Amino acid sequence: MKQTATTKTSYHIPVGPIHPALKEPVFFEFEIEGERIVDVDVKLGHVHRGIEWASRKRNPIQILYLAERICGICSFCHPAAFTLAVETAADIQAPERAEYLRVIQGEIERITSHVLWAGVAAHEIGFDTVLFLTWQMREKLMDLTEYLCGNRVTKGIMTIGGIRRDITEDMIPKITDTLNYLKDNFEKLRKIFLDDKTIRMRSQGVGILTKENALKLCAVGPTTRASGVKKDVRVDTSYFAYGDLDIDFITPDVLTNEVNGDVYDRIIQRLLEVKQSIGLIEQCLDTMPSGDIVVEPKIPKLLNQLKKVNGEGVGRHEAPRGEVIHYVKFDGENESPYTWKVRAPTYNNILPWIPMLKGEQIADIPIIAASTDPCMSCTNRVAIADGSKKYEMQKEELHRLSIEKTRRLMK
Amino acid sequence: MTKDQELTPEKVVKYFIDEFKPKIKDIKIKERAAGSKKNKTPSIWMKIDNSAFKGAVKHLCDLQFPHLAIISGNDLGKTIELIYHFTLNYGNRLGEINLNISVELPKSKPKIETICDYIPGALITEREKQEFLGVKIIGIPDDRRLFLPDDIPKGIYPWRRDETGPEKLYKNLHEVKK
Amino acid sequence: MKFSMLPQVFAQMFKKPFTNKFPAKYTPPSTTKFLEAVGAGKAKLIPPIETPEGFRGKIQFDKDKCIGCNLCIKVCPSGAIESKPEEKKIKIYLARCTFCSQCNDVCPVNCLSMSNEFLLADADKYSKDLIVE
Ligand code: SF4
Ligand code: SF4
Repeated sequence: MKQTATTKTSYHIPVGPIHPALKEPVFFEFEIEGERIVDVDVKLGHVHRGIEWASRKRNPIQILYLAERICGICSFCHPAAFTLAVETAADIQAPERAEYLRVIQGEIERITSHVLWAGVAAHEIGFDTVLFLTWQMREKLMDLTEYLCGNRVTKGIMTIGGIRRDITEDMIPKITDTLNYLKDNFEKLRKIFLDDKTIRMRSQGVGILTKENALKLCAVGPTTRASGVKKDVRVDTSYFAYGDLDIDFITPDVLTNEVNGDVYDRIIQRLLEVKQSIGLIEQCLDTMPSGDIVVEPKIPKLLNQLKKVNGEGVGRHEAPRGEVIHYVKFDGENESPYTWKVRAPTYNNILPWIPMLKGEQIADIPIIAASTDPCMSCTNRVAIADGSKKYEMQKEELHRLSIEKTRRLMK
Repeated sequence: MTKDQELTPEKVVKYFIDEFKPKIKDIKIKERAAGSKKNKTPSIWMKIDNSAFKGAVKHLCDLQFPHLAIISGNDLGKTIELIYHFTLNYGNRLGEINLNISVELPKSKPKIETICDYIPGALITEREKQEFLGVKIIGIPDDRRLFLPDDIPKGIYPWRRDETGPEKLYKNLHEVKK
Repeated sequence: MKFSMLPQVFAQMFKKPFTNKFPAKYTPPSTTKFLEAVGAGKAKLIPPIETPEGFRGKIQFDKDKCIGCNLCIKVCPSGAIESKPEEKKIKIYLARCTFCSQCNDVCPVNCLSMSNEFLLADADKYSKDLIVE
């Protein structure tokens, strides 16, 4: 992490930081010798929007929608973790049916996110036909989300003490149709990712994160599980209906009998999780109890109840990228929380990048950075600074290098 | 880094009380049930004197290498509270224990020792606490700014609620043309 | 397998494209002019894909029913609603609205509802189309 002085043999390459459309632009500074990366430094916060500060003027119901806007892909996870934190602080118990509905929403979001990621990863190594296949699958999921929640991206489905929309009997066929479609296409995707030589060449043995490093650097989600650490909030703890369901840890050795912690393992990991999520949704649809979906439908009453709460709570949910944790503290006087702290999964997956990237080649930066599923902004713009001269390298350039490497390997 | 199937929250509490009894200001276990089967997730909330804090983290690492989720912080007026959210015993179905260790630092001298030597993954969140709450982390391996842009003046801490808070820096946020 | 995507690509060549070409097969040079032509009956619009039931689009406000309780203002996350105390009614600035439908849920007399209208882009955020009152 320390800034090392530039010597004659090494160069510093800044990568990043800004792509305004993405959630977390990151700035990297690579120190390279020839093609090898010897050191990496990271700077964050280019889109620190002061969301936690903005919450000081809002009541918990309004914050739900603020939380939803932390990230477009995790627009269920953040309100979910916030709701869990508030419910813990205020000792509110959501109805059982709502807990199952929440699981369904959470898993649909996970599949959507992983499928999107699979496409982006393929794109990074120049395999664009797969990108279009995955995005076609994703489109079906977006349609389903729109059908269940009322909008494609910002779901607006979570509320404190329950969930806002029920899944009625006549909605189930559409869900099962989509799941069946996914299962068919999942087979195709699995074949391509697991059997294709190109993908294996570019991802096996690249960007290795050892189990020890994953533990020490507190990595979360698929990134840590692909290194063999069994850590999954859904399995470890009982929240929503996850405590009732039949669910087990997934690590890449389920399929390959070994854990390498490389990019390939992270691909397998996410594909296996898509399969697991489909299973979880089916379980929920089968076993869902009937009943109410919110404990307190009268929102003003709920807000009054929350205003009196004096206490703190932590909410943890397994988002597609890993554990998201929110901390909420109420002081019993104000409507808005005294403190609200949000921790998104990528936050913990920043440090693991450093051991992953060290010793790799510049052409591998896109796929390694993408393999933890962060926002892709970091690869948007690269400038090579060489003393007085300055060359600029656009994302396209980096992407081209990556594709060229794929071609070289294929020869 | 062994996993202990038998580790219960009560055992963790006892483990800490045996070692740090006089320094622990408050320790309690909260449980929360969910779903139809009402399986419970335990959380331990422990408040410890900051002189014993580093020792407590070391003691914890001796028991089992924890996962540090985040450090959150509150400005409580005269003091700044830091809460370290650990989780223990993950990797066992429904076996995880949340452990929240909090310390209160006086605002006049908000200083706490780094835990990066035990848990290297704490670096990002410690750097964040330095710039957002104005806590001095003693011995932090890298004390540059991480999140805040370079043009925010020194001595402004966005999460403080007193005169060092961010209030001076914004204006006309909600102006609407009528 | 070196070319695992090939069968998929071949099959796709004989399928209908997945994309709905809204509003026209080729992007018109000027959308405004194109829409005018559609209005005059000179061009044909390819309609957008239909929204499902329960879609959250532009808000509809039944002014007569509103009792001016201001509950919707209290829950609106983006401050899109303004109270008009002299009339005891409200005014919604759609340019700020996030289409969360929270105001619909809280309204005690159900005078707000979400329509399926979503083509709301406008050059002026205070234009008549973007203010509901
Ligand atoms: S839909 Fe949401 S953002 Fe829009 S006016 Fe209603 S409460 Fe406000
Ligand atoms: S909540 Fe309904 S009745 Fe009350 S002010 Fe708003 S629109 Fe009118």
